[in-house]
Amino acid sequence: MKKIKISWLALKNLKRKFIRTFVLLLLVAVVTGTLLSATIFISGMQNALRIGTYRLGADVLVVPEKNESQAKAALLSGEPTSFYMDGKVYDKVKDVEGVKRASTQLFIKPTSFTCCYNVETFLVAFDPSTDFTVTPWLQKKLKKPLADDEVIAGSAMPLMTDDIIPFFGTPFNVAGTLEPTGMKFFDQSIFMTMQAAFEMAEKSKGRSVQPLELEKGKISAVLVQVEDGFTPERVAIRIEHQIEGIKAIASDEVTSTVRKQLAGLLKGILLISAILWVLALLMTGFSFYMIVNERQRELGLLRAMGATKAHVFRLIITEAVILSLAGGIAGIVAGGGLLSVSKTVITQNLKLPYLLPSLPVLSELAAGALIFAVITGLLASLLPAVFASRMEPYDAIRKGE
Amino acid sequence: MIEVSDIVKSYSIGGQALKAVDHASFTVQQGEIISVIGHSGSGKTTLLSLVGGLTKPDSGKVIVDGTDIWSLDDNSRSHFRNRNMSFIYQFSSLIPTLTSLENILLPTAFGDFPGDVRAYAEELIERVGLKEKTNAYPSHLSGGQQRRIAIARAFINRPSVVLADEPTGDLDEEAEQDIIRLFSEMNSALKTTFIIVTHNKEIAGQAARQLSMSNGILTGAA
Ligand SMILES: Nc1ncnc2c1ncn2[C@@H]1O[C@H](COP(=O)(O)OP(=O)(O)OP(=O)(O)O)[C@@H](O)[C@H]1O
Ligand SMILES: [Mg+2]
Repeated sequence: MKKIKISWLALKNLKRKFIRTFVLLLLVAVVTGTLLSATIFISGMQNALRIGTYRLGADVLVVPEKNESQAKAALLSGEPTSFYMDGKVYDKVKDVEGVKRASTQLFIKPTSFTCCYNVETFLVAFDPSTDFTVTPWLQKKLKKPLADDEVIAGSAMPLMTDDIIPFFGTPFNVAGTLEPTGMKFFDQSIFMTMQAAFEMAEKSKGRSVQPLELEKGKISAVLVQVEDGFTPERVAIRIEHQIEGIKAIASDEVTSTVRKQLAGLLKGILLISAILWVLALLMTGFSFYMIVNERQRELGLLRAMGATKAHVFRLIITEAVILSLAGGIAGIVAGGGLLSVSKTVITQNLKLPYLLPSLPVLSELAAGALIFAVITGLLASLLPAVFASRMEPYDAIRKGE
Repeated sequence: MIEVSDIVKSYSIGGQALKAVDHASFTVQQGEIISVIGHSGSGKTTLLSLVGGLTKPDSGKVIVDGTDIWSLDDNSRSHFRNRNMSFIYQFSSLIPTLTSLENILLPTAFGDFPGDVRAYAEELIERVGLKEKTNAYPSHLSGGQQRRIAIARAFINRPSVVLADEPTGDLDEEAEQDIIRLFSEMNSALKTTFIIVTHNKEIAGQAARQLSMSNGILTGAA
């Protein structure tokens, strides 16, 4: 230490009323942490929705009329389900005007005997020759077409390529895994070929305690991609009009319910955050007003030693910045820690798609939170700092008496 | 040199104007020690604050080393104080979270201090006889020791003027003598001008000149 620096003086001042400094720091930390986790949480869901709709890849989903809600539940929260309709629906859908591509899928709800993992598994059979929704999201392209004794595993499945996993008594080789999507429908599913599904069902009669009843030629859903110039809604209406006993769900319709729920949640979180922030701002502001008030004489003495108004202003502001910076960092660390610990709890209990933002986005959010914390500190101390710098030195020294 | 001419400072208390300093004029030569005595409330502290640029006079001039300090803007006046003046108060004026040495260095936060300020601060602390308390915090110092640190701090900027407001108040006689000796040492070493407000007749008697204040009116000025 040669000369004394104002920032150093500010740091020393913060040590003075340790408990008050600590409480203020905690307050900033709590607000920053809450705000950060709220934004991460929200952006996680938006992320999942954005990627999810995209990943779903289909503009229209055609399912049996009576199974509409089950189908939506399967898509949104990945709840295993099974329902069947005649495979002829596919041929009819293909010919509807506005349909560019169509592919069939078969949903199989495995019994608890079939798998040994506690993650709920959803078996989905698809048609690799027409598929446009599953294979594009493989982490690595398959070396050869998916064989009938092979499966593709969703990202949340505790499986790796070349693992072997039995379903209904038939062992399957894991040929590839999917990227995380945030949609449980993808993340917690096992995908196999249609042929494999029927063979598995056939063999299950001899091998499995609870055999799988699967009638050849049945399907669960037809996934449709519409031609350019057609809206999913219009094509969905057309399909429903032309084919009996089915329900055509436009993908927007699936996500719009989530979006609505999300909007409500967003409003709530935003409101709570805003209230919390205002509260923190007022409390910090009041504390700094008290700090300035208590130290009037001392600030007057500093002025007598030659401190300018700007020096006094800077001293107070610097204290606030140090405090909010430290509180902000603590809040980010605590919030981040809490979020990563509760990540699995969130993804498992939330009946909504959720995908943690990528690391660059996370660090951006954290940096944003820190800047926000510092701005809060600046705002809170602004008026007290102006007040402190405007005092007449002699008045300030006298008032301290 | 300090030239004070016709300064007035009044306060309005309950609608009534109170002249704390009433048309005071005096001159102090460089290196002179003068004392100001007077009853409580007679306006001594107000006078010192006017001379030191801490409170603005209603009228009149204060010229320190040729600078009319009340014609300067607030910034320049602050810098002027930082370079040329120091204050010593009766109350403890140390910052509790800083050590003796750090307290002495405090004025260096607010201006340019060429040279090795730290070495000079250590020299000052030795001068006031508290070398062993260099790294002690104010709470571990006696009242007299705290005052001596404050005095050491007053010299860190090698001021041309020291304004002391009852620097020996509530100290015992020995501590009082120490401080008086220190002042005269500094005065002869640096040719520092002193204006010392005091109730103490003995200190007042030791000064070259003595002013006295009564109800804001200054007498004894040459
Ligand atoms: N800021 C102020 N507002 C109102 N009145 C003031 C102010 N400052 C000083 N006074 C009044 O001016 C008069 C002179 O006060 P001052 O502090 O200069 O006296 P003093 O001689 O230093 O007294 P003491 O010996 O008790 O320190 C007093 O009557 C005091 O009440
Ligand atoms: Mg006084």
